[in-house]
Amino acid sequence: MEQLSEILSPNFLLRNSFYIGLLVGFVCPQVGVFFVLRRMVLMGIALPQVSNAGITFAFLLHTFGWHFFPHVESEKAMALTGSIVFTLITIFTLAILERKGKGFTENRIGFTYAIAGAASIIFVSWNPYGRSEVLSMLKGEIIAIPDFYLWSMLAIYGIIFIFLTGFHRNLILISYDADMAITMGKNVIVWDILLFLVIGIIIAFGVMAVGPMVIFGFLLIPTITARMVTRGILPFCIVSSVIGVTAAFGGFYISYCFDLPTGPIDVALLGAILFIFYLGKICFLFRK
Amino acid sequence: MNENTLIYLKNVTIGYRGNPIISGINFSINEGNTAVLLGENGSGKTTLFKTILRIIPPLQGAVIYDNNCRPRFGYVPQGQSLDEIYPFTVQDVVLMGTFGQAKPFSFTPGKNRDLVEQCLKDVGMLDLKKQLFAQLSGGQKQRILIARALATRPNILLLDEPVTGVDITAQKMIMELISMLHKKHKLAVMMVTHEFSNIPKWINKIIRIKNNMVIFEKTS
Repeated sequence: MEQLSEILSPNFLLRNSFYIGLLVGFVCPQVGVFFVLRRMVLMGIALPQVSNAGITFAFLLHTFGWHFFPHVESEKAMALTGSIVFTLITIFTLAILERKGKGFTENRIGFTYAIAGAASIIFVSWNPYGRSEVLSMLKGEIIAIPDFYLWSMLAIYGIIFIFLTGFHRNLILISYDADMAITMGKNVIVWDILLFLVIGIIIAFGVMAVGPMVIFGFLLIPTITARMVTRGILPFCIVSSVIGVTAAFGGFYISYCFDLPTGPIDVALLGAILFIFYLGKICFLFRK
Repeated sequence: MNENTLIYLKNVTIGYRGNPIISGINFSINEGNTAVLLGENGSGKTTLFKTILRIIPPLQGAVIYDNNCRPRFGYVPQGQSLDEIYPFTVQDVVLMGTFGQAKPFSFTPGKNRDLVEQCLKDVGMLDLKKQLFAQLSGGQKQRILIARALATRPNILLLDEPVTGVDITAQKMIMELISMLHKKHKLAVMMVTHEFSNIPKWINKIIRIKNNMVIFEKTS
């Protein structure tokens, strides 16, 4: 209990990491809803990896003396730019190829994942200065998050959450039945672009803060778990975020108490919740 | 084209990616008309159907709507074309019919919920409103999709193979339901089918697609 009151204290040293975890746990499942329902789960694996490649590339450029933002001392702004640029270029390229219907989606995403993973490692190997920071990000060690980044994340994730909530009906309609959406006068291409933009930004910012593994975990596992136990789209979305926030809170508490890396504990906890819900569902069906 | 015309196809060529399938299509659908698009699988009837709905642009010619204002389409896709991964209840699916007028950042108004109940009553499926859509039979799904189309308050009902993949009893019930809705709401109806035996007697226009040509077989 002592640790819990420490974590909840406004003067807690790692409060920014704690708040970022909760934010990711709350908002990422709302984007994950579209990943799962549009059967884009594989993209959910590849994009965080691409974002990571963008970050490592930006660190590398920084080390070689190339600066996008010469007056900004921290490399974080440059890394974030790399993350956003790589993620958005990839997501729109994949979306265009998907729409043209050439080749197989799985092949393209598998290729992207492999190349992005390899590129990340090569960029890190070339760059002795950024290595420790990148490696801790890859491991999901959510520790040193400056106030500025917390507020930026809050603003960006907040805007995206408001967008997803406010235009929920349109986004669901174009995802579920694009033909019907067209007959109702909706511009499906514009809505698709907006959705992909949101996905790209969520991943780019999230990977910078908590790493690719954690983002992938929070995008997909809460949503998959919620789908097992809910009936109706609104309960599905709400339960997804509740699971995400619960895992983020519980994961941080466990990692703080036992001095373990937060990211992997969050993902392991999400996996445990999924398993418990699955067993619960089996028991429920068995009794029925 | 006259004042009752909802949709007019003027010298339309349909096709995909610049490859024409059928050329020189001219016909109109008026208020209260009932029409069937008949053709074998792969004949281009779904392409024509989607061109009428402006889901696919025509390669040549024009699809003209009444006073250049899009009619309120009650679109009914094939039940099996919708992904079952979505955890929608029947109520969620029918509510989608009201999304055309839905304002962002708002809760679903009570009148829309009442409309959904009325549409479910019209198709005799009100008891199933809390059921998961994915767990319904083919015939039930089709009726729910018709209810969803009704929730758009349409002036024309457009059905893509409404009885494909459902048993004979359900086929009969669906056709009776469409006929009832046509009479009750004075709806124009246009449906796609690949079987002549599926065409009910109350249809007054058959548009048959054969050998890349459009042939009109019945007009009353």
